[in-house]
Amino acid sequence: MGTIRMDRRLFLKSAGATAGAVAATQVGCLRYFKKGRSSAAETKEIPTTCELCPNKCSAIAVVEGGFVKKLNPNPENPKSRDMLCARGNAAIKQVYDPDRIKQPMIRVGARGEGKWKPVSWDEAFDFAAKKLSEVKDKYGPQGTLWSSTEGFQEVFFKNLGLAFGSPNIVRHPTLCLASVNLAYSATFGTVPSFDLLNSKFVIMSGANRFESIITPDTMDLIGGVMERKAKLVYLDPRFTVTAAKADEWYPIKPGSDLAFILAMIHVIIKENRHSKDFVASYTTGFDQLAEHVKQYTPEWAEKETEIPAADIVRIAREFADAGARALYYAGRRSSWYQNDFQMRRAQAILNAIVGNWDQMGGMVPNAKLPKGEFLFMPWDEPKAPRVDEIDTAFPLAAKGDGVYLKLRENVLSGKPYPVKGWMVYKQDPMNSLPDQSKTMKMIEQMDFIGVIDVQMSDMAWYADVVFPESAYLERTDPVEVMPGIWPAVVYRQQVVKPIHDTKPNLEIVQGLAKRLGLGDYFDYTIDQWVEAEFKDLPIPMAAEHMKKHGVWAASGQPSYGKTLNPDHRFVTKSGKIELFSDRLQEAGHDPLPVYTAQPQPRNDQFRLILGRVGYFTHANQSNNVWLHEFMKENDLWINPKPAERLGIRDGSYVTVSSSVGSVKLKARVTEEIRPDCVFMLHGFGKKSKMQSLVYNVGASDAVILETAWDKVSGNAAFHETFVKVANA
Amino acid sequence: MAIKKKRYALVIDSRKCINCKACVVACKAENKVPVGNFRNRINEERKGEYPKLSINFEPEQCHHCADPSCVRVCPTGASWQRKDGIVLVNYDECIGCRYCMVACPYDARYFNEEEGVVDKCTFCSHRVDKGDIPACVETCPSKVRVFGDLEDPTARIHELLSTRRYRVKEPQTGNGPQLYYLL
Repeated sequence: MGTIRMDRRLFLKSAGATAGAVAATQVGCLRYFKKGRSSAAETKEIPTTCELCPNKCSAIAVVEGGFVKKLNPNPENPKSRDMLCARGNAAIKQVYDPDRIKQPMIRVGARGEGKWKPVSWDEAFDFAAKKLSEVKDKYGPQGTLWSSTEGFQEVFFKNLGLAFGSPNIVRHPTLCLASVNLAYSATFGTVPSFDLLNSKFVIMSGANRFESIITPDTMDLIGGVMERKAKLVYLDPRFTVTAAKADEWYPIKPGSDLAFILAMIHVIIKENRHSKDFVASYTTGFDQLAEHVKQYTPEWAEKETEIPAADIVRIAREFADAGARALYYAGRRSSWYQNDFQMRRAQAILNAIVGNWDQMGGMVPNAKLPKGEFLFMPWDEPKAPRVDEIDTAFPLAAKGDGVYLKLRENVLSGKPYPVKGWMVYKQDPMNSLPDQSKTMKMIEQMDFIGVIDVQMSDMAWYADVVFPESAYLERTDPVEVMPGIWPAVVYRQQVVKPIHDTKPNLEIVQGLAKRLGLGDYFDYTIDQWVEAEFKDLPIPMAAEHMKKHGVWAASGQPSYGKTLNPDHRFVTKSGKIELFSDRLQEAGHDPLPVYTAQPQPRNDQFRLILGRVGYFTHANQSNNVWLHEFMKENDLWINPKPAERLGIRDGSYVTVSSSVGSVKLKARVTEEIRPDCVFMLHGFGKKSKMQSLVYNVGASDAVILETAWDKVSGNAAFHETFVKVANA
Repeated sequence: MAIKKKRYALVIDSRKCINCKACVVACKAENKVPVGNFRNRINEERKGEYPKLSINFEPEQCHHCADPSCVRVCPTGASWQRKDGIVLVNYDECIGCRYCMVACPYDARYFNEEEGVVDKCTFCSHRVDKGDIPACVETCPSKVRVFGDLEDPTARIHELLSTRRYRVKEPQTGNGPQLYYLL
């Protein structure tokens, strides 16, 4: 994220910077809906950046009479191209959602009872500051936990936790793609982008790119596959939209993707189809790899994966033939199994040996753009060690992000020290973490919980104080550089004034900081912050440009091959692409990916698998009225064979139970899933009554998911849960 | 100077549709379509037995027919057709009798309870008249729809219909539908 370690910062009081003008004005208009007649109110078009998911697509807000009427795609953004998905279009309803938190609130009943007292901002800040100080007095600043999810204003929240003196900042990556990032970093020293626009042969394990939309990958791949420029081979236990569009779909046995990849490497090396020049010039450890994969024959892999050996051989040959334009796509999905890091690393190794590194149609190291920084007053580094013991438990993991599930275990055990205060920004741990009953226990043992969010998530519902954040269309955020094949800078500016008594996160952080005696560290405005960022952008008249366009992209075509010279040093221990990794070996992990068969469900059990649809990403989107229309209740996908055996009929209610919990939801008897798996969508069965469309409707996967994590990265492993299904 | 004739139509490449619903929500916002009503939709066809399966998506909306049955049956003249082919409802003249809904072979119309009138896709005529394209066409991530003027030989849809095979739905009705589905 956009911060540099604060000890390198200079102290600079906010001087000189002027407040940028807010681009929107409010014009009174009581009736914004007048069918078939043009409105007399003034219409404005204001460029901004979508926040409904992490893609950061550029949008142009059409504002009529002070209301956001429409969000149009902004074609100037090379990442979002000229699209805006259903979620992006529905952002309007995030603003005008009757369920929104309309003013700060302090809990008056028991936690989760839903009894709230609307209070002034001063009261809310005073209350939270008092409680946080009490925790600090009793347990030290490390007794507080600061958890947040990715967003342009996340930096302020994180900094408040650090300035308060807590080392316990935990961000979302270990609920997301930490295992992918770590595996590619361990191999290439960086996490590349995948040039799907120009690729000729793509293999994808489960990363359901046509429903789990990532820009520009989704658009590039559907264009490539449908115009017959690229071939797509897709592995997934479920017949997703991606499976339906793929040239070949294999309902692989869950947990065996690593066997498939190792067998591909086996075939390519055995048949001498790897890129010999590339391997010789840029990689290290090839001989060890060749020796290691001898055991992983296609015939062996057939037994593990249920994919015929002949197909594995053919796919390996086609992949190697496509060479620099072949891609084993990493995806951006939560990890699945406890071997996830090694599975991702095997993908990275397979990519490396066919020589697709830094090639058109291959993997491309991200181009970056410079951005200015606002220099704020630095604080002392937190003194205590992290409560998740990341240094010893996950020495290779990203320290600043933390390891969420290990952290929860340690907080629950009170070891190595107690954590009794919890501040949450923009995150719903009740639904984003597996095993909701554990999260609930964690909530119960807290002396204080404060939540900052746009809407009353389940987490906010259990808080002691709720600070309503302004929706993205109501606020200005820091500038974001998006590295990539087509790097761009995006800017989110205020489109309309807040319609309720809400504040941007920075102002909430400042309100708390002031009362915690930390005001000097946050003594700036968002406009000063943004002005400083504009300064180093490689754009003439940057401020004017960004306010007018909302996005800037480097012109011209991507430059491939910058790292392809023998003097280039990769950011790895050896300076080469590491097929064999000393660093992993030193850390006590397999230096080459070793396959161990994953446990499989017994006959009376199913593996619970997760995934997405194109119109919901996060748990909070199911309560958006324009998206909720497409799915009012989630259901359990189950294959007709086991359904018949269990007497389960389509549409009837079933109970789904794991070792940690049990939920009730409707069955969807469908051919589109393996008989040994069941699937349910995320984001239903809410406990918050202020998620009124999905309160107590359907079921939350978090209730039945068991706690498991990838051994190397600590990333939550979401496909390790076996469940029983019975008629309810 | 002769006024240049226009005929708007939509070419749809269904294979590229991923059922993401962007077009449906964009239409909802652009045209203030009430919750529960839709001016466009994505038809799904799912078939097969595990593991031999297929899913096909097919976006659909008003076909802006050449000889629209909805216009023929309208007792008040509220349903009417512009010279450029766009079929519209004049809300002031609509009495909500819903004959047009029955007459439409494509189930493209809905009754707007709030306003007491029948409503439907307008090809975003208010945008088209300003030189923009319909909201559903613009927002689509995979660019399934191509909108254009059939009378314009330089238009992309002209090229597509000249070089690709396509079908129209329910041609036997004689309505002359103007949504062209590429094969």
